[in-house]
Amino acid sequence: MTKEMRAFRRLHSAATATSVAGSDSLARLLAAAGRGDQAAFGMLYDELAGLVHGIVLRVVRDPSQAEEVTQEVFVELWRLAPRYEESRGSVKSWTATLAHRRAIDRVRSEQASRNRMERDAAGRPGEVESVGDIVETSLDNARVRRALGSLTPSQREAVELAYFGGHTYREVAVLLQVPEGTVKSRIRDGMIRLRDELGASS
Amino acid sequence: MSTNLDIHHLAAAYALDALDARERAVFEAHYPACVICSHDVREFRATLAAMGEASATPPPADLRARLMQEIGETRQLSPLLPGPVAHLAARRRPSALVLAAAAAVLLLIGLASFAFGRSSNDDRTFADALDHVLAQPDARLIELTATDGTGGRVQLAWSATAHQAALLADGLAPAGEGMAYELWLIDAGGPAPMRLLDPAADGSLRRTLTVDGTPVQWGITIEPRGGSPAPTGDVIFLGAA
Ligand SMILES: [Zn+2]
Repeated sequence: MTKEMRAFRRLHSAATATSVAGSDSLARLLAAAGRGDQAAFGMLYDELAGLVHGIVLRVVRDPSQAEEVTQEVFVELWRLAPRYEESRGSVKSWTATLAHRRAIDRVRSEQASRNRMERDAAGRPGEVESVGDIVETSLDNARVRRALGSLTPSQREAVELAYFGGHTYREVAVLLQVPEGTVKSRIRDGMIRLRDELGASS
Repeated sequence: MSTNLDIHHLAAAYALDALDARERAVFEAHYPACVICSHDVREFRATLAAMGEASATPPPADLRARLMQEIGETRQLSPLLPGPVAHLAARRRPSALVLAAAAAVLLLIGLASFAFGRSSNDDRTFADALDHVLAQPDARLIELTATDGTGGRVQLAWSATAHQAALLADGLAPAGEGMAYELWLIDAGGPAPMRLLDPAADGSLRRTLTVDGTPVQWGITIEPRGGSPAPTGDVIFLGAA
């Protein structure tokens, strides 16, 4: 596609998209994509690719596999676009959920899971890339850094092993050698604190 | 095993995808109708999305072109039909009082059909099954809405934990020569055939059903007599699970 054509199609999509009243621009793009508008979907990709790939890469680790999963996530987003409901959360939130779920599906095969358990048990916490490090190196997002800093080390560890390590809370309990109930509490308390710090509204 | 109290505390682990498959299924059956948990899930997911944004990483530049080519060859799913499902997340669990009142009405209907002549074992079994479903703490009463001018009324009492549902319909028109009503369990993967439904001559129907999976909606279509693996007819009744 030439640059001119792309520009034209963007304009066309933007025009189509604005005709849907009362939702934010991502929701409008997704609605247009849900009606088969590929150019709108391309714009959506431009907005969301970094979010999706960032999540997938942290969970899957292997760059070439992560790239495959990121592609799968967007194909799924395309397929499901006609079914998006705002009552289920914002487009960003929904997309992040799809991305994480896909990444987890990729790593949670039995063998992969065993390997991760061994890796995370052997190398923890150095081998597990810390959320804090990611934030430091990739973006100076002060709010997220502050929110993470407000967790206790054990809350943070439990949340990271679950979300980025891709472990179930039962696996986290084994890794940390603490009771399952303790891990559940750390995860819950940690998420509540993050939510309160980030003031995230869906 | 999770107790009923525990389940409201699983939203954070669920949002992190940190439940095993069984717990995930149990929680997914629970949270859409739970005011507390559906709120928590939305907020935790938004929190994680905000964290994800802080670690955003652009994928390799050539991915875009490959993706755009693939979606050009990929069929999209049909939209979920408007109506009941739009209120799924917002819908509140019926209060105990409403549930009890509705249960009493349903029981009366069930027992009436038992008392008035069609007194087969089937009717007795149905009344017992209905009673059993309604006794479950997660029992849901669902009215399937007629999507066009079709007459008749279809109600479903359903418990995810009991894996059981009781379906009551009245005033159904005959399905037509060589045709039958078919009930569909609709989940994220699309509609799955549940049961062929053959109303009595007076248009009434009482059926108990074994329900596995986590429906998002229930639907009824008219299909060829032998049933179809996927719906071919229009959805004539539809309700949020
Ligand atoms: Zn709950």
